Amino acid sequence: MKPEDFEQRLQRQPRRQIPAGWRAEILAAANPAPRSASRAPFLSTINSQLSTLLWPHPKAWAGLAAVWVFIFVLNFSMRDKAPALVEKVSPPSPEVVAELKQQQRILAELMGARDALDADRSRPMAPRPRSERPFEVLTV
Amino acid sequence: MRGPELERLYDEHAQPLYAFLLNLTRDEADTRDLLQEIFIKLARDEQLLAAVRDERAFLIRLAHNAAIDLVRRRGTRERTRENFAAESASPFAPASDLDENTFRNELATALAELPAEQRAVVHLKLWEGLTFEEIAAVLEIPPNTAASRYRYGLDKLRGRLRPLYEEIK
Repeated sequence: MKPEDFEQRLQRQPRRQIPAGWRAEILAAANPAPRSASRAPFLSTINSQLSTLLWPHPKAWAGLAAVWVFIFVLNFSMRDKAPALVEKVSPPSPEVVAELKQQQRILAELMGARDALDADRSRPMAPRPRSERPFEVLTV
Repeated sequence: MRGPELERLYDEHAQPLYAFLLNLTRDEADTRDLLQEIFIKLARDEQLLAAVRDERAFLIRLAHNAAIDLVRRRGTRERTRENFAAESASPFAPASDLDENTFRNELATALAELPAEQRAVVHLKLWEGLTFEEIAAVLEIPPNTAASRYRYGLDKLRGRLRPLYEEIK
């Protein structure tokens, strides 16, 4: 194989043609409409910066985002269910209300009796200095 | 830059830029992104080509720098892609003849296995017809380096393709 032949053989290989549709797309992207001219660079800058930031581990970031979405969904679903649980509790029956009232009355009576007993009882002696105790014993 | 001027640049230079970028990236989507990036740059900066004598050489330099940036930006992914270069987009048109098609596929695979700097020099020499001085100016390397990269690259291609070349010659 002569080197020149080999090089010429390589040079003769036809290269792939650029897709025809690219011309319109690329020229349109390079010459955007005036109204969106100021906005497109801003969005593309943010996009490129985010891509640079997130690129090293895109799957990890996507996983983290998915976990956050799951947490938010869970949080909102729980918040929605909380009032429903309260609403589902049925009102107490009249028997239960009557029973509660009776228990309250008994408790009030007992408390009243206790107060009366407490009033009959003498008040506990106030603590005295130690120095007075021997004298107290002697006097008894 | 005005629309008609941009269209002229596209019509004159997009095809060789496409072939060069496809040979470096081996990915159609990346090639399209880079080509669009170049034309957006041209559209935004009207003075970019003002002092340029050789438009083609300047645009190839832009393309080369954009491709190198892409490789750096996508480090791990790009290295992984290099490992699967045989399955990547071929820079050559498919042939109807089976032997010729086999040769083009083998050539595409062999090119993909070259280091990017050798591949760039081989491409510019063989398919753009640039001299080593012009390649050196475009890639911002000394001419001797361009020549040695071409020699090493071509030797690897020859070694890889020799059996097939002898068989179908």
